Parts: sequence; C-alpha cells; structure tokens
Amino acid sequence: MRIALLLSAGRHRVSGRPAPVPVELQALRLAADLAQTHGGQSGGTVTGLHAGPEIGPLTDALGHGLGHLVHLRMPAEADPAPALTAALEAGGYDLILAGRSGQGGEDTGLLPYTLARALGRPILADAAALAPGAEAGTLSVEQALGRGARRRLVVRLPALVTVHPAAPAPLPFAFAGLRRGQVEMREAAPSAPAPHEVEERPYRPRPKLIAKAAAGASAAERLKAATVAASGGGKLLVDPAPEEAAREILAHLRALGLIAPR
Amino acid sequence: MSRPRKDPRMERAAHLVPGGARPRFDLAATPATSGRLRRDPRAEERLALVPGTLRRRLDRSQRAPAVSVVAVAAPVEAEAAPRRVVIAEPAFLVALVPDAPGGRLSAHDRQLFGAARLLADAGGGAVLALVDGSSEELGAAGADRVLALPITGYDPEAKALALNAALAALDLRHVLFPESAEGGDLARRLAALSGEPFFAGAESLSPKAVTRAARGRRVEQRRAPPRLLSLAIDAIAPHAGSLHEALPVEFAFPETTGGALLSAEFIPADPARVSLAEADFVVSAGNGVSDLDTFRMLVAALGGTPGASRMLCDAGLMPRAAQVGASGTVLEARGYFALGIAGAPQHLQGVARCEHVIAVNTDLHAAMIERAGLAIVADAQKVMPALLRLLGEEGAP
Ligand SMILES: Cc1cc2nc3c(=O)[nH]c(=O)nc-3n(C[C@H](O)[C@H](O)[C@H](O)COP(=O)(O)OP(=O)(O)OC[C@H]3O[C@@H](n4cnc5c(N)ncnc54)[C@H](O)[C@@H]3O)c2cc1C
Ligand SMILES: Nc1ncnc2c1ncn2[C@@H]1O[C@H](COP(=O)(O)O)[C@@H](O)[C@H]1O
Repeated sequence: MRIALLLSAGRHRVSGRPAPVPVELQALRLAADLAQTHGGQSGGTVTGLHAGPEIGPLTDALGHGLGHLVHLRMPAEADPAPALTAALEAGGYDLILAGRSGQGGEDTGLLPYTLARALGRPILADAAALAPGAEAGTLSVEQALGRGARRRLVVRLPALVTVHPAAPAPLPFAFAGLRRGQVEMREAAPSAPAPHEVEERPYRPRPKLIAKAAAGASAAERLKAATVAASGGGKLLVDPAPEEAAREILAHLRALGLIAPR
Repeated sequence: MSRPRKDPRMERAAHLVPGGARPRFDLAATPATSGRLRRDPRAEERLALVPGTLRRRLDRSQRAPAVSVVAVAAPVEAEAAPRRVVIAEPAFLVALVPDAPGGRLSAHDRQLFGAARLLADAGGGAVLALVDGSSEELGAAGADRVLALPITGYDPEAKALALNAALAALDLRHVLFPESAEGGDLARRLAALSGEPFFAGAESLSPKAVTRAARGRRVEQRRAPPRLLSLAIDAIAPHAGSLHEALPVEFAFPETTGGALLSAEFIPADPARVSLAEADFVVSAGNGVSDLDTFRMLVAALGGTPGASRMLCDAGLMPRAAQVGASGTVLEARGYFALGIAGAPQHLQGVARCEHVIAVNTDLHAAMIERAGLAIVADAQKVMPALLRLLGEEGAP
C-alpha cells in the first residue's frame, strides 16, 4: 500500500517558532501503523510531501517514523495545490493523509478538499483510526465525532483522509530515524500566487458568548442565564438514608438523561 | 412617581416682557411648564417598599401593585407574545445549513440562525434554512424559508452536490455553516466543489466584515463576508424576539449517484475508554472515598467515565490521566458526579463548564456542595453500595 502524507509548515502553538503540526504527526503514526501491519507482501511505504519555500523543522517527521520526505520547492506566496496535485498524481498513491487543518498558515483546512477535487478522489474527514476493510482495496476509517463517539466508514481506495486530533499520539521522536530518513528536493513548476483578499492585523481575542440567553431576550432572562449556571441553585439533602440518597441520585440522573431510562 | 423637570432658563425666558431695548422680566407671572418629566426617587422608593417586613426591604421589580403611577409612565408589558415577521418579497437570500443532530437544533445551530438574521436583516433579505428533515422549531429560530434536502443517512458528498445545485440555481448571497465536525466538512466540500471563496471559522460577523484567527491564532484576518462562511461556536448570539414564517419552498434537486462510501455505522462512545476531555458524564472520587473498588464498580454500572481529584492521583490510587482540575483535565462533560470531593478552586476550575453537578460529601459547607445541582450530605461509603444495590435491583427483573 502506498501512502502519501501531506506535511505543512506549522508554527508552535505557544512559542510561534517553526515546527511540524501535531495532528500531521498523528497522521504519520496512523500511516506508519497501517503500512507496517497491513502493507501486504510488498510492505507499505509512507512518503511525506511538503510544498513550500523550505523544509525547515519538518525533517522532525523523519524522527517520528517517516522514511522518505519529498520537498516540492516553490516560492512562499505560490499556491501549493497544483504542485501537490501533480506530485500526488504521479506517485499513484492508494491513500493520502492530511491534517484536519494546518497551524501557522491560513489554517482553513481547505487544501485537502481542493486536492481531492482536483484528483477526483473521495475525501473523508476526521479519522481517528484506520484499518484495512474486509474487501481488498477498501479502507475502514473510524471518524471521530464529538464526545468520544465514532462512526465507522468503509471507503474504496484510492481516497484522501484527514486526521483528527483524537487519533493516537505521534510515535516518539528518535534521532536515529532522523539520521536514517531521506529528504528529496524537487523544484515545483511555477504556479500563480494564491489570491489573497483578506486584510491582516494582530489577533485580538474576542469575548465569547457566556450567557446562554438570546439577543432579543429581556434583561431579566439575560440576568438569569448569567447567574443560574454559576450557582448550583439546586436541591440539598442533609443526612438522608443511603437508600433514599441513591434513589434521589438515580432519579436526578435519569431526569437529565445522563443514564439510560429504566 | 415623576414630576415635571425644571429648566431654569426656559422658565426665565417665559417671564420675558416683550418690547423695550433692554430685556425685562416679570417674575410674578405664573410660569409655563416644560414637557419633560423629572424623576422623584423618594416616591419611587416609597412605592418599592415591601410592607410587613421587619427590615426595610425594597422591591424594585415593581411586581407589587403600584399605588399612584403617573399616567405618562409606560405600561409594563407582561410577557409580550413574540412579534411575527413576514418577509414576502426578500431582496436576497441568506442560506444556512444547520447540523441539527437527531432533527433538533443544537446551540451552535441557533447561533448560526442569529448570524444569518444579522446578515439578512441588514438589507431586507430572508433566511433560508437548508435542512435534512422538517422541524417546527425553525420559525422561532429565525427561518423565513425552509428547503428540505433529499438526503438519507450519512452521505456528505451527496449533500454537498445538492447544496451546490441550490447554490447555482437559487440566488443565495451567503451560505452559512457551523464550524463543527459535520458542518465544517460540508462547507469545505461545497467550497471545493463550487470554487466560491470560503471563510472558515468566523469569530465575529457583521454585514460589513467577518474576522477569523489564522497563523496559529497570531493574526486576525478580516474581509467583507464572502459567499461561503463557517461560524465558530459561541461567537454570535442566537436569534430571539421575533417569530418567522418558515415557509417550505420547492426545488428540483438533480439526481445524485451513490458516492464512494460503502458503509457508515455509528459507534456510540464507550465511557470506559474515552478520554476525560471528551467524556459526557464523569463520575469522580476524592479523598472522601476510601473504597475504590466499589467506586470503580459504580462507575461501570452508571456508564460514566472515571475521574478523580488530585489527592487520589498524587497518592497513586487513580491514574494521573483521571485527574480533573486546573492541573489535570478541564471537562466539557454535561454531567459531573463528585463523591467525597471538597471542591478546591483548582478542582472547581475543571468542572466550570459542566452543566449538571451532583455532589456527595459529609461536610455541609464544602464548596462542591454549594456548586452542585443535587447535593447530598452523606457518607459516600454508604451511598455507593446503596446505589449499586438499587441499580442491581432494577437490572434484575
Ligand atoms: C498548583 C495546584 C494545582 C492543583 N491542581 C489540582 C487539580 O487539577 N485537580 C484537583 O483535584 N486538585 C488540584 N489541586 C489540589 C487541590 O487544592 C485540593 O487539594 C484537592 O482538590 C483536594 O482534593 P479532595 O477534595 O479530594 O480532598 P480533601 O480536600 O481532603 O477533601 C475530601 C472531602 O471529602 C469529604 N469526605 C470525607 N469523608 C467522606 C465520606 N466518608 N463520605 C463523603 N465525603 C467525605 C470531606 O468532607 C472533604 O470535603 C491543586 C493544588 C495546587 C496547589
Ligand atoms: N504546503 C503544503 N504542503 C503539503 N501539505 C500541506 C500544505 N499546506 C497544507 N497541507 C496539508 O493540508 C492540511 C490542511 O491545511 P490547511 O488547508 O492549510 O489548513 C494540512 O494539515 C496538511 O496536511
């Protein structure tokens, strides 16, 4: 099975220094596990692909278990989609993995979808686990939904899958892996710079909605919404018999729908 | 309550005797009153005074019958019915695609309606909700028109194709999505399919500009709202105050062939396996719980995710991953059941976002008891077996 992994130039969440994007390293782990255990007789290969002006700290991915990294060199302002599409088409990959969204660039998470469109392949979002499907040439993807729920999807390969942060943690970094891995540099064909019609300014955190009262609600309702959640304002039982306490707790949990009704 | 407000200059001007080279005032003449009312705080206080209490108590909400309300005071409207709004000839359409899990609008969906109304009301437009199934809450949520999508089951590609057809045929000025797992996926599919400009995860929105965070939340990008938008959670207040007609509209969607998905199967969360950050219902033990075996049995029986206070994790009685609080995990859970936890501030930070808290503690004055919606002052060691017994009795027959 030939797997391609898309690596974007990220920035560290706290320090802002160039760094690999954590979710892409998690994708690398999924790819490495899949290639190792289910690669077939030929064994699976995982190839990293990055389109950008320089490779920088993305070589760290080699230390996290990537064997081969292809750097498609292009100017910083160029659109990476055409170069990546060409490279992915030429590579004949069965599976293409990408992160849910980058961290340090536009961070829209749109690139995998444009690539899927350009390649004419199906795309599945938010994978937390990958396994080969029951039939040959299919892949079973566990999609992370909110609150720990999952959805198991079976898709016919070739396909493109984006990975969710709920996937297992990246493989630990090994310096020997970094020394062993190879980086191959290719010049990408020049492409038009991506249109950029946004204005940028330093980030200013905006106040989040706290009170759950709606905009048109009355002042009394807004006050209630702001204060009720903060205080329990509930029921108090002092020294009940254990049986009574248990009954009360179960009834309360059922009323809230936190445990299954009887 | 109010008496006319004095305006000395006007009063003086009213006494002016016309004619003559120098201004002359006749102050003995009766002055004319100005129209503006003046507040009388003492009279207000007298009205707000609640009679029959030992201590002086004021009720400013005016629920007590006002004795001598001046005629000009605006009548207090009692629970006015929501205003009905009908937009017969919309200037343009703002569409939105709510997630509506299980057919019911989520809080995020309602915020989406708030955003769509904001964009539509600025220019006499109407809000078009594109939904899987119909539902009655759409009118109150703020939808003028409702279009049902011909989708069954989980098939985002088919849904995106249907949306693309609607986007091309109907003159939609904006299409809004929630930036959730499903909505975000759909928005990007549509953006790739239609080639329209897309603005992901808008954090503020007005008819003139939308903003979002980029470059690892270091810069804010800003532009006029493009055609496709996805909205971050808790950015815009939901719509309220007026009722809209939610008129069903017809649209001939093109036939779509099956996508590449061979099967889709929902797997409910296994509470014993999910991480605390993702858990929906957490049962947590503190220093007041000494019988941890019973606690573990109780967690399994209730179908919760196990948690603990730092005291237990430090003592090695519970894994570090189970620690709830400032230096552990901050929960997003709906329910939190605390057994023998005092509720130190560092611990309460971890449960700040939990909607429902239940506490069992021997100390009536514990902070956790104060925070809880159902607080039980009892020995956790006795309540836990009682709960297990009760659950066992219910399960037996
Ligand atoms: C920098 C810092 C970070 C911290 N971060 C965290 C954190 O992330 N998470 C965290 O939890 N703590 C944290 N702490 C510790 C925190 O301050 C408290 O020490 C801790 O939460 C107390 O845990 P507890 O309530 O289980 O224990 P205690 O304070 O010992 O409280 C035990 C409670 O159980 C009750 N009780 C006793 N016997 C029974 C019984 N038989 N039945 C029922 N109730 C009984 C008692 O009345 C008491 O209220 C932090 C502290 C510091 C300094
Ligand atoms: N320049 C790039 N080269 C390779 N992969 C990229 C590049 N930019 C983005 N990606 C991939 O696309 C995903 C989403 O990126 P973005 O659309 O920038 O949020 C990332 O997690 C990467 O997997």
